[in-house]
Amino acid sequence: MVVGGCSYKMTKNWFLRGTLKGIKTEKFPAADPLNPPLWPSRLNGSGDVQCPTDAIKDGIWDEQRCIFCRRCLPNYKPTEEQDIFTVRENTNEFRKSLNIYFVDTGSCGSCNTELSTIFSPRYDANRLSIFAVNTPRHADVLVLMGVLTEMMKEPLYKALEAMPEPKAIVLLGTCSITGGIMGKGVLLPEDANLILAGCPPSPYTILEGLERLKGGKK
Amino acid sequence: MDDDHRREKENKNLLHDHMKFHYGPTAGGLLESVSMEFSTPGEKISSVSVNPAFKMRELSISGKSINDALLMVERINGYHSASFQIGFLTAVEKALNINVPDDIMNARILQLELERIRSNLNVMERLCLPAGFGVPANQLSFLKEETSRLIGNVSGHRYFFGTNLPGLCRISVRSLNDRIKEVLYDYEDILDALLSSKIFVNRLQKNGFIKDERMIGPAARASGFPIDARADSNSLDYSNCPFSLTLRDEGDSFARFMVRAEEIPVSRDIIISSSQKIRNNLIYEEEYNGSGNGISRIESPSGDLFFMVSIEDGIVKSLEFSSPSIVNIGLFKKSMPGNVFTDFHFNWESFGIWLSEVVHIK
Repeated sequence: MVVGGCSYKMTKNWFLRGTLKGIKTEKFPAADPLNPPLWPSRLNGSGDVQCPTDAIKDGIWDEQRCIFCRRCLPNYKPTEEQDIFTVRENTNEFRKSLNIYFVDTGSCGSCNTELSTIFSPRYDANRLSIFAVNTPRHADVLVLMGVLTEMMKEPLYKALEAMPEPKAIVLLGTCSITGGIMGKGVLLPEDANLILAGCPPSPYTILEGLERLKGGKK
Repeated sequence: MDDDHRREKENKNLLHDHMKFHYGPTAGGLLESVSMEFSTPGEKISSVSVNPAFKMRELSISGKSINDALLMVERINGYHSASFQIGFLTAVEKALNINVPDDIMNARILQLELERIRSNLNVMERLCLPAGFGVPANQLSFLKEETSRLIGNVSGHRYFFGTNLPGLCRISVRSLNDRIKEVLYDYEDILDALLSSKIFVNRLQKNGFIKDERMIGPAARASGFPIDARADSNSLDYSNCPFSLTLRDEGDSFARFMVRAEEIPVSRDIIISSSQKIRNNLIYEEEYNGSGNGISRIESPSGDLFFMVSIEDGIVKSLEFSSPSIVNIGLFKKSMPGNVFTDFHFNWESFGIWLSEVVHIK
Protein backbone atom coordinates (compact mmCIF):
# COMPACT_ATOMS: atom_id res chain seq x y z
CA MET A 1 0.00 0.00 0.00
CA VAL A 2 1.29 3.45 -0.85
CA VAL A 3 -0.09 6.56 0.88
CA GLY A 4 1.04 10.00 -0.32
CA GLY A 5 3.95 8.44 -2.16
CA CYS A 6 5.17 6.70 1.02
CA SER A 7 5.43 2.89 1.07
CA TYR A 8 5.44 0.97 4.36
CA LYS A 9 8.82 -0.41 3.31
CA MET A 10 10.36 3.06 3.45
CA THR A 11 9.96 3.64 7.14
CA LYS A 12 11.35 2.02 10.28
CA ASN A 13 8.58 3.58 12.37
CA TRP A 14 6.45 0.66 13.49
CA PHE A 15 3.27 2.73 13.84
CA LEU A 16 3.56 3.94 10.25
CA ARG A 17 4.53 0.51 9.01
CA GLY A 18 1.42 -0.94 10.63
CA THR A 19 -0.89 1.82 9.38
CA LEU A 20 0.44 1.84 5.82
CA LYS A 21 -0.13 -1.90 5.44
CA GLY A 22 -3.87 -1.22 5.44
CA ILE A 23 -6.72 -3.25 6.92
CA LYS A 24 -6.31 -7.02 6.69
CA THR A 25 -9.35 -8.00 8.75
CA GLU A 26 -12.23 -9.90 7.17
CA LYS A 27 -15.81 -8.78 7.68
CA PHE A 28 -16.76 -12.19 9.09
CA PRO A 29 -19.16 -12.97 10.82
CA ALA A 30 -21.15 -10.15 9.15
CA ALA A 31 -20.06 -11.51 5.75
CA ASP A 32 -19.21 -15.00 4.53
CA PRO A 33 -15.75 -16.37 5.38
CA LEU A 34 -13.15 -15.74 2.67
CA ASN A 35 -11.17 -18.94 3.08
CA PRO A 36 -13.08 -21.59 5.06
CA PRO A 37 -11.22 -24.86 5.57
CA LEU A 38 -12.62 -28.07 4.12
CA TRP A 39 -11.85 -30.03 7.29
CA PRO A 40 -13.39 -29.38 9.74
CA SER A 41 -16.71 -28.18 8.37
CA ARG A 42 -20.29 -29.48 8.39
CA LEU A 43 -20.49 -32.92 6.79
CA ASN A 44 -23.22 -33.87 4.38
CA GLY A 45 -24.04 -37.38 3.23
CA SER A 46 -25.79 -40.59 4.04
CA GLY A 47 -25.18 -44.24 4.78
CA ASP A 48 -23.29 -46.11 7.44
CA VAL A 49 -19.51 -45.94 7.67
CA GLN A 50 -16.86 -47.22 10.06
CA CYS A 51 -16.34 -44.20 12.31
CA PRO A 52 -13.61 -44.38 14.99
CA THR A 53 -15.60 -42.19 17.40
CA ASP A 54 -19.16 -43.30 16.50
CA ALA A 55 -19.84 -39.81 15.22
CA ILE A 56 -21.84 -41.36 12.40
CA LYS A 57 -24.45 -43.81 13.62
CA ASP A 58 -27.56 -44.97 11.75
CA GLY A 59 -26.85 -42.40 9.07
CA ILE A 60 -26.86 -39.47 11.53
CA TRP A 61 -23.77 -37.30 11.92
CA ASP A 62 -22.94 -35.96 15.40
CA GLU A 63 -20.63 -32.95 15.05
CA GLN A 64 -19.64 -33.11 18.74
CA ARG A 65 -18.09 -36.57 18.39
CA CYS A 66 -16.48 -36.05 15.00
CA ILE A 67 -12.68 -35.76 14.71
CA PHE A 68 -12.95 -35.08 10.94
CA CYS A 69 -10.56 -37.93 10.10
CA ARG A 70 -11.99 -38.35 6.56
CA ARG A 71 -12.68 -42.07 6.97
CA CYS A 72 -16.29 -41.46 6.00
CA LEU A 73 -15.26 -40.32 2.50
CA PRO A 74 -16.86 -40.60 -0.05
CA ASN A 75 -20.21 -41.26 1.70
CA TYR A 76 -19.94 -38.01 3.67
CA LYS A 77 -18.38 -34.88 2.24
CA PRO A 78 -17.35 -31.56 3.84
CA THR A 79 -19.44 -28.53 2.90
CA GLU A 80 -17.07 -25.74 4.12
CA GLU A 81 -19.92 -24.52 6.39
CA GLN A 82 -18.28 -23.33 9.60
CA ASP A 83 -21.33 -23.01 11.90
CA ILE A 84 -20.63 -26.28 13.73
CA PHE A 85 -21.31 -25.00 17.24
CA THR A 86 -24.14 -25.12 19.77
CA VAL A 87 -25.09 -22.24 22.03
CA ARG A 88 -26.90 -23.85 24.95
CA GLU A 89 -27.59 -20.68 26.84
CA ASN A 90 -27.65 -17.33 25.13
CA THR A 91 -27.54 -14.44 27.57
CA ASN A 92 -27.57 -10.66 27.30
CA GLU A 93 -25.20 -10.28 30.25
CA PHE A 94 -22.08 -10.28 28.05
CA ARG A 95 -23.55 -8.23 25.25
CA LYS A 96 -21.15 -5.29 25.70
CA SER A 97 -17.96 -7.30 26.04
CA LEU A 98 -16.71 -10.81 26.54
CA ASN A 99 -13.51 -11.50 28.46
CA ILE A 100 -12.16 -15.00 27.98
CA TYR A 101 -9.61 -17.01 29.92
CA PHE A 102 -8.54 -20.37 28.60
CA VAL A 103 -7.40 -23.50 30.41
CA ASP A 104 -5.57 -26.22 28.51
CA THR A 105 -6.53 -29.39 30.35
CA GLY A 106 -4.68 -31.73 27.98
CA SER A 107 -4.75 -30.65 24.35
CA CYS A 108 -2.51 -31.40 21.37
CA GLY A 109 -1.84 -27.67 20.99
CA SER A 110 -3.86 -27.06 17.83
CA CYS A 111 -6.97 -25.85 19.71
CA ASN A 112 -4.72 -23.43 21.63
CA THR A 113 -3.29 -21.94 18.45
CA GLU A 114 -6.67 -21.73 16.69
CA LEU A 115 -8.09 -19.86 19.70
CA SER A 116 -5.16 -17.42 19.74
CA THR A 117 -5.60 -16.95 15.98
CA ILE A 118 -8.95 -15.19 16.48
CA PHE A 119 -6.96 -12.25 17.86
CA SER A 120 -4.72 -12.08 14.77
CA PRO A 121 -5.25 -9.46 12.01
CA ARG A 122 -7.43 -11.66 9.73
CA TYR A 123 -10.08 -12.17 12.45
CA ASP A 124 -9.41 -9.45 15.06
CA ALA A 125 -11.83 -10.60 17.77
CA ASN A 126 -11.22 -7.32 19.66
CA ARG A 127 -13.40 -5.47 17.08
CA LEU A 128 -16.33 -7.63 18.33
CA SER A 129 -15.47 -6.71 21.96
CA ILE A 130 -14.02 -10.15 22.67
CA PHE A 131 -10.84 -9.97 24.74
CA ALA A 132 -8.36 -12.44 26.23
CA VAL A 133 -7.55 -11.83 29.90
CA ASN A 134 -4.62 -13.02 32.00
CA THR A 135 -6.48 -14.20 35.07
CA PRO A 136 -9.80 -15.99 35.71
CA ARG A 137 -10.69 -13.19 38.16
CA HIS A 138 -11.20 -10.88 35.17
CA ALA A 139 -12.94 -13.46 32.99
CA ASP A 140 -16.57 -13.82 31.92
CA VAL A 141 -15.92 -17.03 30.05
CA LEU A 142 -13.70 -20.03 30.73
CA VAL A 143 -12.65 -21.77 27.52
CA LEU A 144 -11.61 -25.39 28.06
CA MET A 145 -9.45 -27.29 25.59
CA GLY A 146 -8.25 -30.89 25.51
CA VAL A 147 -9.09 -34.03 27.43
CA LEU A 148 -9.08 -33.76 31.22
CA THR A 149 -5.86 -35.05 32.79
CA GLU A 150 -5.69 -35.97 36.46
CA MET A 151 -3.28 -33.17 37.36
CA MET A 152 -5.32 -30.46 35.63
CA LYS A 153 -8.46 -31.13 37.69
CA GLU A 154 -7.41 -28.91 40.61
CA PRO A 155 -6.20 -25.93 38.49
CA LEU A 156 -9.46 -26.16 36.50
CA TYR A 157 -11.71 -26.11 39.57
CA LYS A 158 -9.64 -23.30 41.11
CA ALA A 159 -10.02 -21.24 37.95
CA LEU A 160 -13.79 -21.87 37.96
CA GLU A 161 -14.03 -20.80 41.62
CA ALA A 162 -11.97 -17.67 41.00
CA MET A 163 -14.30 -16.38 38.27
CA PRO A 164 -16.87 -13.74 39.21
CA GLU A 165 -20.58 -14.21 38.46
CA PRO A 166 -22.10 -14.28 35.90
CA LYS A 167 -19.82 -16.73 34.17
CA ALA A 168 -19.99 -19.05 31.21
CA ILE A 169 -18.14 -22.19 30.13
CA VAL A 170 -17.06 -22.97 26.59
CA LEU A 171 -15.92 -26.40 25.41
CA LEU A 172 -13.54 -25.96 22.49
CA GLY A 173 -12.76 -28.96 20.31
CA THR A 174 -13.78 -32.61 20.25
CA CYS A 175 -11.33 -33.63 23.02
CA SER A 176 -12.96 -31.33 25.57
CA ILE A 177 -16.52 -32.24 24.48
CA THR A 178 -16.45 -36.03 24.23
CA GLY A 179 -12.77 -36.94 24.48
CA GLY A 180 -12.64 -38.04 20.84
CA ILE A 181 -9.97 -40.73 20.53
CA MET A 182 -7.59 -39.18 23.08
CA GLY A 183 -9.35 -39.68 26.44
CA LYS A 184 -12.33 -38.29 28.32
CA GLY A 185 -14.11 -34.98 27.86
CA VAL A 186 -13.70 -32.22 30.45
CA LEU A 187 -17.31 -31.72 31.49
CA LEU A 188 -20.67 -33.03 30.43
CA PRO A 189 -21.72 -31.03 27.36
CA GLU A 190 -24.94 -30.06 29.23
CA ASP A 191 -22.81 -28.07 31.69
CA ALA A 192 -21.36 -25.84 28.98
CA ASN A 193 -22.90 -22.67 27.59
CA LEU A 194 -21.20 -22.98 24.22
CA ILE A 195 -19.88 -26.07 22.46
CA LEU A 196 -17.47 -25.53 19.59
CA ALA A 197 -17.07 -28.66 17.48
CA GLY A 198 -14.03 -29.43 15.35
CA CYS A 199 -10.66 -31.04 15.64
CA PRO A 200 -9.59 -28.32 16.07
CA PRO A 201 -12.46 -25.83 15.49
CA SER A 202 -11.43 -23.27 12.87
CA PRO A 203 -11.04 -19.60 13.88
CA TYR A 204 -14.27 -18.91 11.94
CA THR A 205 -16.20 -21.41 14.10
CA ILE A 206 -14.69 -20.04 17.33
CA LEU A 207 -15.31 -16.41 16.43
CA GLU A 208 -18.92 -16.91 15.35
CA GLY A 209 -19.65 -19.16 18.35
CA LEU A 210 -18.33 -16.57 20.83
CA GLU A 211 -20.21 -13.78 19.04
CA ARG A 212 -23.45 -15.79 19.32
CA LEU A 213 -22.74 -16.47 23.01
CA LYS A 214 -22.57 -12.70 23.44
CA GLY A 215 -26.05 -12.48 21.98
CA GLY A 216 -25.01 -11.47 18.47
CA LYS A 217 -27.30 -12.45 15.62
CA LYS A 218 -26.16 -14.07 12.40
CA MET B 1 10.90 -16.42 71.09
CA ASP B 2 8.39 -13.56 70.82
CA ASP B 3 6.75 -12.50 67.58
CA ASP B 4 9.07 -9.54 66.94
CA HIS B 5 12.17 -11.69 67.26
CA ARG B 6 10.73 -14.35 65.00
CA ARG B 7 9.76 -11.79 62.35
CA GLU B 8 13.22 -10.23 62.50
CA LYS B 9 14.83 -13.62 62.01
CA GLU B 10 12.52 -14.43 59.09
CA ASN B 11 13.37 -11.11 57.44
CA LYS B 12 17.07 -11.82 57.82
CA ASN B 13 16.58 -15.24 56.27
CA LEU B 14 14.70 -13.66 53.41
CA LEU B 15 17.65 -11.37 52.74
CA HIS B 16 20.15 -14.19 52.71
CA ASP B 17 18.04 -17.04 51.42
CA HIS B 18 16.49 -17.48 48.06
CA MET B 19 12.87 -16.68 47.47
CA LYS B 20 10.85 -19.24 45.53
CA PHE B 21 7.78 -18.49 43.49
CA HIS B 22 5.52 -20.42 41.13
CA TYR B 23 4.38 -19.61 37.63
CA GLY B 24 1.58 -21.66 36.05
CA PRO B 25 0.18 -24.21 35.43
CA THR B 26 -2.33 -21.81 33.85
CA ALA B 27 -1.42 -18.19 33.23
CA GLY B 28 -2.15 -15.55 30.64
CA GLY B 29 1.31 -15.63 29.08
CA LEU B 30 1.39 -19.40 28.63
CA LEU B 31 -0.02 -21.08 25.54
CA GLU B 32 -0.05 -24.51 27.22
CA SER B 33 -0.31 -25.69 30.82
CA VAL B 34 3.03 -26.01 32.60
CA SER B 35 4.19 -25.28 36.12
CA MET B 36 7.52 -23.60 36.89
CA GLU B 37 9.21 -22.76 40.16
CA PHE B 38 11.78 -19.98 40.14
CA SER B 39 14.38 -19.51 42.84
CA THR B 40 15.93 -16.06 43.19
CA PRO B 41 17.89 -14.06 45.77
CA GLY B 42 16.23 -10.91 44.43
CA GLU B 43 16.77 -10.18 40.77
CA LYS B 44 18.76 -12.87 39.04
CA ILE B 45 17.23 -16.31 38.71
CA SER B 46 19.44 -18.87 40.46
CA SER B 47 17.47 -21.93 39.37
CA VAL B 48 14.20 -22.94 37.74
CA SER B 49 12.35 -26.22 37.86
CA VAL B 50 9.76 -27.15 35.22
CA ASN B 51 6.92 -29.61 35.77
CA PRO B 52 5.54 -30.50 32.32
CA ALA B 53 3.31 -33.33 33.63
CA PHE B 54 0.16 -31.26 34.25
CA LYS B 55 -1.25 -31.88 30.80
CA MET B 56 0.38 -35.26 30.25
CA ARG B 57 -2.08 -37.49 28.39
CA GLU B 58 -2.15 -41.27 28.51
CA LEU B 59 -2.45 -42.85 25.09
CA SER B 60 -3.20 -46.53 24.55
CA ILE B 61 -1.58 -47.21 21.20
CA SER B 62 -0.36 -50.77 21.71
CA GLY B 63 -2.77 -53.28 20.12
CA LYS B 64 -4.21 -50.79 17.64
CA SER B 65 -4.11 -51.08 13.85
CA ILE B 66 -1.64 -48.84 12.02
CA ASN B 67 -4.45 -46.57 10.84
CA ASP B 68 -5.95 -46.20 14.33
CA ALA B 69 -2.51 -45.61 15.87
CA LEU B 70 -1.86 -42.92 13.26
CA LEU B 71 -5.01 -41.02 14.33
CA MET B 72 -3.52 -40.73 17.83
CA VAL B 73 0.07 -40.09 16.72
CA GLU B 74 -0.97 -37.12 14.56
CA ARG B 75 -2.64 -35.62 17.65
CA ILE B 76 0.36 -35.90 20.00
CA ASN B 77 1.59 -32.48 18.92
CA GLY B 78 -1.06 -31.00 16.64
CA TYR B 79 1.13 -28.06 15.67
CA HIS B 80 3.83 -30.41 14.38
CA SER B 81 1.37 -33.06 13.19
CA ALA B 82 3.03 -33.62 9.79
CA SER B 83 6.35 -34.39 11.51
CA PHE B 84 4.68 -36.93 13.79
CA GLN B 85 2.68 -38.57 10.97
CA ILE B 86 5.67 -38.82 8.65
CA GLY B 87 8.04 -39.99 11.39
CA PHE B 88 5.60 -42.73 12.43
CA LEU B 89 4.80 -43.86 8.88
CA THR B 90 8.50 -43.92 7.93
CA ALA B 91 9.25 -46.19 10.91
CA VAL B 92 6.29 -48.45 9.99
CA GLU B 93 7.44 -48.67 6.36
CA LYS B 94 10.95 -49.58 7.51
CA ALA B 95 9.50 -52.26 9.79
CA LEU B 96 7.52 -53.77 6.91
CA ASN B 97 10.21 -53.27 4.22
CA ILE B 98 7.98 -51.08 2.09
CA ASN B 99 9.62 -49.06 -0.68
CA VAL B 100 8.05 -45.65 -0.92
CA PRO B 101 8.02 -43.92 -4.35
CA ASP B 102 10.05 -40.73 -4.81
CA ASP B 103 7.08 -38.44 -5.33
CA ILE B 104 5.59 -39.55 -1.99
CA MET B 105 8.93 -38.71 -0.37
CA ASN B 106 8.89 -35.29 -2.03
CA ALA B 107 5.31 -34.73 -0.85
CA ARG B 108 6.41 -35.52 2.71
CA ILE B 109 9.37 -33.12 2.48
CA LEU B 110 7.00 -30.43 1.22
CA GLN B 111 4.68 -30.92 4.19
CA LEU B 112 7.52 -30.83 6.71
CA GLU B 113 8.88 -27.58 5.27
CA LEU B 114 5.44 -25.90 5.21
CA GLU B 115 5.03 -26.91 8.84
CA ARG B 116 8.53 -25.60 9.67
CA ILE B 117 7.78 -22.20 8.11
CA ARG B 118 4.63 -21.82 10.21
CA SER B 119 6.35 -23.04 13.37
CA ASN B 120 9.31 -20.67 12.89
CA LEU B 121 6.95 -17.75 12.26
CA ASN B 122 5.12 -18.72 15.46
CA VAL B 123 8.33 -18.65 17.53
CA MET B 124 9.34 -15.30 16.01
CA GLU B 125 5.90 -13.84 16.75
CA ARG B 126 6.00 -15.07 20.33
CA LEU B 127 9.45 -13.50 20.78
CA CYS B 128 8.07 -10.12 19.65
CA LEU B 129 5.17 -10.18 22.13
CA PRO B 130 7.09 -9.97 25.46
CA ALA B 131 9.19 -7.15 23.95
CA GLY B 132 5.98 -5.19 23.40
CA PHE B 133 6.50 -5.18 19.63
CA GLY B 134 2.83 -5.39 18.70
CA VAL B 135 3.09 -4.35 15.04
CA PRO B 136 5.71 -6.93 13.94
CA ALA B 137 4.00 -9.55 16.13
CA ASN B 138 0.74 -8.93 14.26
CA GLN B 139 2.48 -8.87 10.88
CA LEU B 140 4.18 -12.20 11.62
CA SER B 141 0.88 -13.53 12.95
CA PHE B 142 -0.71 -12.54 9.64
CA LEU B 143 1.96 -14.45 7.69
CA LYS B 144 1.44 -17.42 10.00
CA GLU B 145 -2.30 -17.42 9.29
CA GLU B 146 -1.67 -17.16 5.55
CA THR B 147 0.63 -20.18 5.87
CA SER B 148 -2.08 -22.07 7.77
CA ARG B 149 -4.56 -21.27 4.99
CA LEU B 150 -2.04 -22.44 2.42
CA ILE B 151 -1.60 -25.69 4.37
CA GLY B 152 -5.41 -26.01 4.44
CA ASN B 153 -5.58 -25.55 0.66
CA VAL B 154 -2.73 -28.01 0.04
CA SER B 155 -3.85 -30.77 2.41
CA GLY B 156 -7.52 -30.05 3.19
CA HIS B 157 -6.74 -29.50 6.89
CA ARG B 158 -4.95 -26.57 8.52
CA TYR B 159 -2.92 -28.99 10.70
CA PHE B 160 -2.41 -31.80 8.16
CA PHE B 161 -4.72 -34.14 10.14
CA GLY B 162 -5.76 -37.05 7.92
CA THR B 163 -3.35 -36.06 5.14
CA ASN B 164 -0.99 -39.04 5.33
CA LEU B 165 -2.20 -42.62 5.49
CA PRO B 166 -0.45 -45.88 4.79
CA GLY B 167 -0.41 -45.98 0.99
CA LEU B 168 -1.91 -42.53 0.52
CA CYS B 169 -0.93 -38.87 0.64
CA ARG B 170 -3.74 -36.37 0.12
CA ILE B 171 -2.24 -33.17 -1.21
CA SER B 172 -2.89 -30.73 -4.00
CA VAL B 173 0.11 -28.68 -5.14
CA ARG B 174 -1.77 -26.64 -7.74
CA SER B 175 -0.42 -23.02 -7.74
CA LEU B 176 1.53 -23.75 -4.56
CA ASN B 177 4.72 -22.11 -5.85
CA ASP B 178 3.04 -18.77 -6.52
CA ARG B 179 1.16 -18.89 -3.23
CA ILE B 180 4.21 -19.55 -1.04
CA LYS B 181 6.11 -16.70 -2.71
CA GLU B 182 3.10 -14.44 -2.20
CA VAL B 183 2.74 -15.40 1.47
CA LEU B 184 6.40 -14.67 2.24
CA TYR B 185 6.63 -11.55 0.05
CA ASP B 186 6.88 -9.18 3.04
CA TYR B 187 8.78 -11.54 5.32
CA GLU B 188 12.32 -10.30 4.72
CA ASP B 189 11.22 -6.71 5.07
CA ILE B 190 9.66 -7.42 8.50
CA LEU B 191 12.84 -9.24 9.57
CA ASP B 192 15.10 -6.38 8.42
CA ALA B 193 13.01 -3.86 10.35
CA LEU B 194 13.11 -6.06 13.47
CA LEU B 195 16.88 -6.47 13.27
CA SER B 196 17.38 -2.73 12.93
CA SER B 197 15.69 -2.25 16.32
CA LYS B 198 18.31 -2.24 19.07
CA ILE B 199 15.57 -2.49 21.72
CA PHE B 200 14.40 -5.80 20.29
CA VAL B 201 17.84 -7.27 19.62
CA ASN B 202 19.13 -6.32 23.09
CA ARG B 203 16.33 -8.29 24.75
CA LEU B 204 17.52 -11.45 23.04
CA GLN B 205 21.30 -11.14 22.94
CA LYS B 206 23.16 -12.91 25.79
CA ASN B 207 19.79 -14.13 27.11
CA GLY B 208 19.65 -17.86 27.86
CA PHE B 209 23.16 -18.68 26.69
CA ILE B 210 23.86 -22.41 26.42
CA LYS B 211 26.25 -24.76 24.64
CA ASP B 212 25.67 -28.39 25.40
CA GLU B 213 26.45 -31.50 23.41
CA ARG B 214 22.94 -32.87 24.07
CA MET B 215 21.40 -30.02 22.05
CA ILE B 216 19.22 -30.75 19.03
CA GLY B 217 17.33 -28.86 16.35
CA PRO B 218 17.43 -25.08 15.87
CA ALA B 219 18.84 -24.66 19.41
CA ALA B 220 21.84 -26.85 18.53
CA ARG B 221 22.43 -25.03 15.25
CA ALA B 222 22.29 -21.71 17.14
CA SER B 223 25.13 -22.94 19.38
CA GLY B 224 27.37 -24.03 16.53
CA PHE B 225 26.51 -27.76 16.46
CA PRO B 226 25.78 -28.89 12.87
CA ILE B 227 22.92 -31.22 13.87
CA ASP B 228 20.03 -31.51 11.45
CA ALA B 229 18.25 -34.73 10.47
CA ARG B 230 17.68 -33.24 7.02
CA ALA B 231 21.44 -33.44 6.47
CA ASP B 232 22.40 -36.59 8.33
CA SER B 233 19.41 -38.97 8.44
CA ASN B 234 18.40 -41.34 5.67
CA SER B 235 14.72 -41.38 6.68
CA LEU B 236 13.96 -38.65 4.11
CA ASP B 237 16.24 -37.83 1.19
CA TYR B 238 17.00 -34.10 0.99
CA SER B 239 19.98 -34.59 -1.34
CA ASN B 240 18.09 -33.27 -4.39
CA CYS B 241 16.68 -30.26 -2.51
CA PRO B 242 18.26 -26.79 -2.27
CA PHE B 243 18.99 -27.37 1.42
CA SER B 244 21.81 -25.69 3.30
CA LEU B 245 22.55 -25.90 7.00
CA THR B 246 22.01 -22.68 8.97
CA LEU B 247 24.60 -22.27 11.69
CA ARG B 248 25.37 -19.59 14.25
CA ASP B 249 27.76 -19.59 17.15
CA GLU B 250 26.38 -17.23 19.82
CA GLY B 251 24.25 -19.85 21.67
CA ASP B 252 21.75 -17.30 23.02
CA SER B 253 18.07 -16.50 22.37
CA PHE B 254 19.07 -14.15 19.55
CA ALA B 255 20.96 -16.92 17.75
CA ARG B 256 17.97 -19.26 18.15
CA PHE B 257 15.72 -16.50 16.72
CA MET B 258 18.11 -15.98 13.79
CA VAL B 259 18.45 -19.68 12.94
CA ARG B 260 14.67 -19.97 12.69
CA ALA B 261 14.43 -16.70 10.74
CA GLU B 262 17.10 -17.73 8.24
CA GLU B 263 15.59 -21.20 7.77
CA ILE B 264 12.28 -19.81 6.48
CA PRO B 265 13.62 -18.84 2.99
CA VAL B 266 15.50 -22.17 2.88
CA SER B 267 12.23 -24.03 3.54
CA ARG B 268 10.45 -21.93 0.90
CA ASP B 269 13.06 -22.91 -1.71
CA ILE B 270 12.76 -26.59 -0.76
CA ILE B 271 8.96 -26.40 -1.15
CA ILE B 272 9.26 -24.83 -4.61
CA SER B 273 11.76 -27.48 -5.66
CA SER B 274 9.75 -30.41 -4.22
CA SER B 275 6.37 -29.31 -5.56
CA GLN B 276 7.65 -29.54 -9.13
CA LYS B 277 8.36 -33.23 -8.65
CA ILE B 278 5.00 -34.46 -7.37
CA ARG B 279 1.48 -35.23 -8.53
CA ASN B 280 -1.79 -34.53 -6.72
CA ASN B 281 -3.41 -37.07 -4.38
CA LEU B 282 -0.64 -39.65 -4.38
CA ILE B 283 -1.73 -43.25 -3.99
CA TYR B 284 0.65 -46.19 -3.77
CA GLU B 285 -0.71 -49.67 -3.26
CA GLU B 286 1.18 -51.49 -0.53
CA GLU B 287 0.31 -54.21 1.94
CA TYR B 288 0.59 -52.96 5.53
CA ASN B 289 -0.02 -56.30 7.20
CA GLY B 290 3.42 -57.75 7.92
CA SER B 291 5.59 -57.85 11.05
CA GLY B 292 8.88 -56.20 11.98
CA ASN B 293 10.67 -53.43 13.84
CA GLY B 294 11.50 -50.06 12.37
CA ILE B 295 13.06 -46.76 13.35
CA SER B 296 13.02 -43.31 11.80
CA ARG B 297 14.60 -39.96 12.50
CA ILE B 298 13.26 -36.77 10.97
CA GLU B 299 13.79 -33.06 11.65
CA SER B 300 10.67 -31.61 13.27
CA PRO B 301 10.54 -27.81 13.66
CA SER B 302 11.78 -28.20 17.27
CA GLY B 303 14.50 -30.75 16.50
CA ASP B 304 15.18 -34.45 16.14
CA LEU B 305 12.13 -36.69 16.29
CA PHE B 306 12.89 -40.42 16.65
CA PHE B 307 10.31 -43.16 16.29
CA MET B 308 10.79 -46.81 17.14
CA VAL B 309 7.89 -49.08 16.28
CA SER B 310 7.23 -52.79 16.50
CA ILE B 311 4.51 -54.28 14.25
CA GLU B 312 2.98 -57.74 14.49
CA ASP B 313 0.56 -58.82 11.75
CA GLY B 314 -0.35 -55.23 10.97
CA ILE B 315 -0.97 -54.37 14.64
CA VAL B 316 1.22 -51.93 16.59
CA LYS B 317 2.85 -53.95 19.34
CA SER B 318 4.90 -51.11 20.82
CA LEU B 319 5.70 -47.53 19.98
CA GLU B 320 8.33 -45.21 21.42
CA PHE B 321 9.37 -41.75 20.36
CA SER B 322 11.81 -39.14 21.62
CA SER B 323 10.29 -35.71 22.08
CA PRO B 324 12.46 -32.76 21.04
CA SER B 325 10.53 -30.57 23.48
CA ILE B 326 11.55 -32.68 26.48
CA VAL B 327 15.22 -32.22 25.50
CA ASN B 328 14.62 -28.49 25.03
CA ILE B 329 12.95 -28.18 28.47
CA GLY B 330 16.18 -29.56 30.00
CA LEU B 331 18.25 -27.06 28.01
CA PHE B 332 15.95 -24.20 29.02
CA LYS B 333 16.41 -25.10 32.71
CA LYS B 334 20.17 -25.16 32.28
CA SER B 335 20.30 -21.85 30.40
CA MET B 336 18.08 -19.86 32.78
CA PRO B 337 20.33 -19.30 35.87
CA GLY B 338 22.00 -15.90 35.74
CA ASN B 339 19.18 -14.28 33.77
CA VAL B 340 16.56 -12.02 35.36
CA PHE B 341 12.85 -12.94 35.45
CA THR B 342 11.96 -10.52 32.65
CA ASP B 343 14.32 -12.51 30.38
CA PHE B 344 12.37 -15.68 31.05
CA HIS B 345 9.67 -15.39 28.36
CA PHE B 346 12.21 -14.69 25.62
CA ASN B 347 14.34 -17.65 26.65
CA TRP B 348 11.35 -20.02 26.98
CA GLU B 349 9.86 -19.05 23.61
CA SER B 350 13.22 -19.21 21.81
CA PHE B 351 13.34 -23.00 22.31
CA GLY B 352 9.93 -23.53 20.64
CA ILE B 353 8.76 -25.96 23.33
CA TRP B 354 5.43 -27.84 22.99
CA LEU B 355 4.19 -29.43 26.24
CA SER B 356 1.71 -31.57 24.31
CA GLU B 357 4.65 -33.84 23.41
CA VAL B 358 4.80 -34.96 27.04
CA VAL B 359 2.59 -38.05 26.76
CA HIS B 360 2.56 -41.46 28.38
CA ILE B 361 2.21 -44.14 25.71
CA LYS B 362 0.82 -47.49 26.82
